[in-house]
Amino acid sequence: MVRHLVGLKARLTWNGFRSDRQRKIGLPVALALLTWAGVWLARSHYETAQLLSESDPAALSEYMGWAALFLFLVWVTLPVIIFPLDENLDPQQLATLPITPNRMLAGLAIAGLVAPSTVVPILVIASNSAILSGGWWMALPAGLIYIGLLAVGGQLFSAAISGILRTRRGRDIATFLVLGLAAGSFFIYRSVSSSVAESGVADAVLSQPIIGWWPLIPPVATQKAMIDAAAGDPFTAVLALIAAGTGLIVLALAWRRLLGWLLTTPAQQSAPATKARRNGMATAPWGVVATMARKEFRFYVRDPRQRLVWTGTVIFVGLAVGGAVMNATGFFDIRGQEWGPLVAPVLVLFVGLPIALNLFGWERNAASYLFVLPPKPHQILLGKNLAVATALGVETILLTVGLAAFTGHWTWVWLAFPLTIAAVGCQLAVGNLVSVLTPLRLPREGTDVFAQSTEQGCLAIVSQTVSFFAIGLLLVPPASVVVLTVSFGEVLAPWIAAVVAIGWGLVFYLLSLFVSSRLLGRRMPEVLAWVQVV
Amino acid sequence: MFICASKPSILADVTQPLIEEPSIDLADAPPAVWARGLVRKFGKTVAVDHVDLSIAPGEFYGLLGQNGAGKTTTIKTIVGLLRPNEGIVGIGRFNTWESPTEVKARIGVLPEEFNLYERLTGAELLDFTAAMHGLDRAEAIRRRNELLDLLDLAEAGSKLVGDYSRGMRKKVALGAAIIHRPPVLFLDEPFEGVDAVSARLIRSLLQQAAQGGTTIVFSSHEMHLVEKLCTRIGIMVAGKLTIEETPEGLCRMMGVDNVEDAFIAAVGGRTPDSSWYAT
Repeated sequence: MVRHLVGLKARLTWNGFRSDRQRKIGLPVALALLTWAGVWLARSHYETAQLLSESDPAALSEYMGWAALFLFLVWVTLPVIIFPLDENLDPQQLATLPITPNRMLAGLAIAGLVAPSTVVPILVIASNSAILSGGWWMALPAGLIYIGLLAVGGQLFSAAISGILRTRRGRDIATFLVLGLAAGSFFIYRSVSSSVAESGVADAVLSQPIIGWWPLIPPVATQKAMIDAAAGDPFTAVLALIAAGTGLIVLALAWRRLLGWLLTTPAQQSAPATKARRNGMATAPWGVVATMARKEFRFYVRDPRQRLVWTGTVIFVGLAVGGAVMNATGFFDIRGQEWGPLVAPVLVLFVGLPIALNLFGWERNAASYLFVLPPKPHQILLGKNLAVATALGVETILLTVGLAAFTGHWTWVWLAFPLTIAAVGCQLAVGNLVSVLTPLRLPREGTDVFAQSTEQGCLAIVSQTVSFFAIGLLLVPPASVVVLTVSFGEVLAPWIAAVVAIGWGLVFYLLSLFVSSRLLGRRMPEVLAWVQVV
Repeated sequence: MFICASKPSILADVTQPLIEEPSIDLADAPPAVWARGLVRKFGKTVAVDHVDLSIAPGEFYGLLGQNGAGKTTTIKTIVGLLRPNEGIVGIGRFNTWESPTEVKARIGVLPEEFNLYERLTGAELLDFTAAMHGLDRAEAIRRRNELLDLLDLAEAGSKLVGDYSRGMRKKVALGAAIIHRPPVLFLDEPFEGVDAVSARLIRSLLQQAAQGGTTIVFSSHEMHLVEKLCTRIGIMVAGKLTIEETPEGLCRMMGVDNVEDAFIAAVGGRTPDSSWYAT
């Protein structure tokens, strides 16, 4: 049965590649990028370990323990935080088949590894085995248990988040949990990199020993097994392997229990507000553009994924304030800076992009409902843009005021508003074109709200990175004008900077609206075919 | 019928066309729905193969065929969701692909899949659709409340569409399709998964819409309803429109006494070997 489930995942992946244009482009891109990342990681790991084995053998085992734990945590959490999980087999569809729970779990876990992203841990594990070649006889069992931990741990974490998102209250908590994880990951990364930069890898790992915790941390236990096997201590090696295997079983049992609950508990829908329930959408303002914008707002609030996008501001604010408070991170320091509040419009580069760049992907199958309605393409785009601009505007204003209060400088606060118009205009200008030319399909919301195929996630990241730089480039001229005004003794009159910023944003937005409306008018069936969930 | 009978004035109002078509001689009137040499391919598969269709204003036209015969593809190309590879399609004097906005203003579509906005309430969905069709606020509120009453969704109107049962979704989708009183309605499987009470409600509504002059293009596998409702039937086989007849004419042509048997005969259906389970 396990074999059949793995075969099913392979067949689905292959069929998806053959029949889906996005995947035809995305899969080779994903494989190339992931292989490059895997090779780079494996080589860096190997070189660091070699260096430590020659210079400071005592630090090697600590480094190996940390490396195993770090890869495990990244694999488990990263899909949920930023990079979409691979589209897994839906347990709901298997629930009526005569499969025992244990076989189903084994099948789902192994099938989950039939994905381009698996190339990364396999390459790292291979380099790990090469480092500890003396423990060759332990490499295979320890490697297999480690891969099992990755598979089960990833599924368990994703199922746990999905489970939390099934309840209304849980969704509110999970939003901040995921954002907290993202922000926490960033600061951990900064903290690790700065301590390594200050004292070197050897001292950094020796100051935080972890290998002694192997009985409690299964990924570290697998490394301990290999290290001891290489050191010629088979008894402790086998003991560590047993500890790792026990950890794997515990994780699997927790996942089994959670999956059972997920399969038998329907998700709670978000409850509309009382006012919305009473009035429908027939409160002011009315009209095609305004109603389209209000429809978008309701989805920002009611769709957990969209809500997550908008609450991403928390990350930005966290980074800005945290960076300022913990100047040691070297991120940036806005304490006491007169230009501090003017950083707020940069928010558009970090918040709202997944929505602004994929206006029709979020419609999912309802795009076919929207496209049989008679509004003209520019009205549809205007309505969606109005919603994005309002959300960004509100967040930017709040951040501007917050930063002004934090820095104690209010002189240039007013200039943040024209700069916001320029920034939002540039984001929408790029977003409209990208939304019409390369819309991305989002997965149907099901058991796993984060489910999305790796290659689509890759395309999304490539598209967002390119767009990020395009928006950044577009922002250079208005930002330069403002810098000339603020930092160089008002070389330009502030009102000129404001007019230039507003004019710049409006011109690019209107140009893009003109072009993308015409493109949308011609490409509605194509956009629909790209975004509809099969 | 018993539900509709209690609200005759509302029904008559709802089914009255919103868009006033120019008064022209019927002999010169363009068909309400038309297709000329329509071809749609998916890769090497020809889903719709040179279909010519002409549906007169006020007709209740049943588009029948086995699964995969090309009915939904034909409807999607006519309403502007799927670009034809060859041929032209349109509504009245408008070509769908040259004047999409004019066509969409004159049609209501009940899709086969439930591609509705699941995170809007039923009332919000109707309001949204009304606004998109350019209805003013007061009129939209009035029609929304009438339709929710009429479709037995008054209480469910404040719940999210995602929480609706299959039958409730069909009903709210039908409400959204007719809220602007379109002269042409496309209904893809309107009775699929609908309970008997709701089915009767929808049937009565459609009959009254047809009596009010609305052209209805209706795709269904419920042959007894096709027989009761349709004034003309088109049968598609492997992408081709092979037969167009009245229900009576079709039965006569096939030498049978009901539309179901006539349809099965027309598409070359057969009864499966009933001994399969025994073996």
